[in-house]
Amino acid sequence: MSVDAKFIGKEYGPLTYEIGKEKIKEYAKAIKNPDPHYMDDDFAKSTPYGGIIAPPTFAVVYAGMLAEPFFMDPELELNLFMLVHGEQEFEFFEVVKPGDVITSRGTIVNIENKEKLDVVTLEGLSTNQDGKPVCKATFTFVIRK
Amino acid sequence: MPKKNIADVSVGDIFSAAEEVDKYRTVYYAGASGDFNPIHIDPEFGQMVGLGGVILHGLCTFGFMSKTVTDWLGDPGALKDIKCRFAKPVHLGDTITTEATVTAIDGNRVNLDLKVVNQDSAEVLSMASAVAEL
Repeated sequence: MSVDAKFIGKEYGPLTYEIGKEKIKEYAKAIKNPDPHYMDDDFAKSTPYGGIIAPPTFAVVYAGMLAEPFFMDPELELNLFMLVHGEQEFEFFEVVKPGDVITSRGTIVNIENKEKLDVVTLEGLSTNQDGKPVCKATFTFVIRK
Repeated sequence: MPKKNIADVSVGDIFSAAEEVDKYRTVYYAGASGDFNPIHIDPEFGQMVGLGGVILHGLCTFGFMSKTVTDWLGDPGALKDIKCRFAKPVHLGDTITTEATVTAIDGNRVNLDLKVVNQDSAEVLSMASAVAEL
């Protein structure tokens, strides 16, 4: 069964996520990235950022939260057993720091029905507590039929 | 590692780095990312669905690719855009190598083509590229 293209434009969220310093360190260790910008308070104080910052791809945590309401959307009826993550893009506008409160909104920007598969693109826009955009995340999922 | 100076970057510059996918990587990544999909943490499930065991989270491989770029930049905040297609599953024990090539420089903007392969030279991420501002 195909994903109905009428759902282009459907929105998810807003979801909020408060950035924690220890969570940043945990994530940086998990991707084997001990960059002192993420791990070393003393070093980080000496940078133009004035303290620890999150790795750019920490967006998978705060923007990735949008995947849950999207996957679980009863209207979409996604076949999760046939779904794979096809493509990913992140655009970064501002660095993310501990204490930031990030609000993310998701929109289905494209649904393509092909012969053997559907391609669904979810775009997440995340802003910080000052209303500044920090990241645009584009998740493309492929669902085999 | 200080921030790279744009004056020291030329079109055609190439750099690379490799990461080993150790036995417990998917467990660490599941905890840190919140992605507990059984294909990443349950070897029996991975066998059952024909993956030959657990596979690494695509976004963890994406993280390795990003690290190669941000290490070279010397400033994670200089990375402005990064993308890829997930081409092939990554298994425990694989070694993932990211090779980056500077393809264009426009003012302080640097475009990079990225090639991400496993130990058999098979592309695990394809159509990968990044943009940085130095």
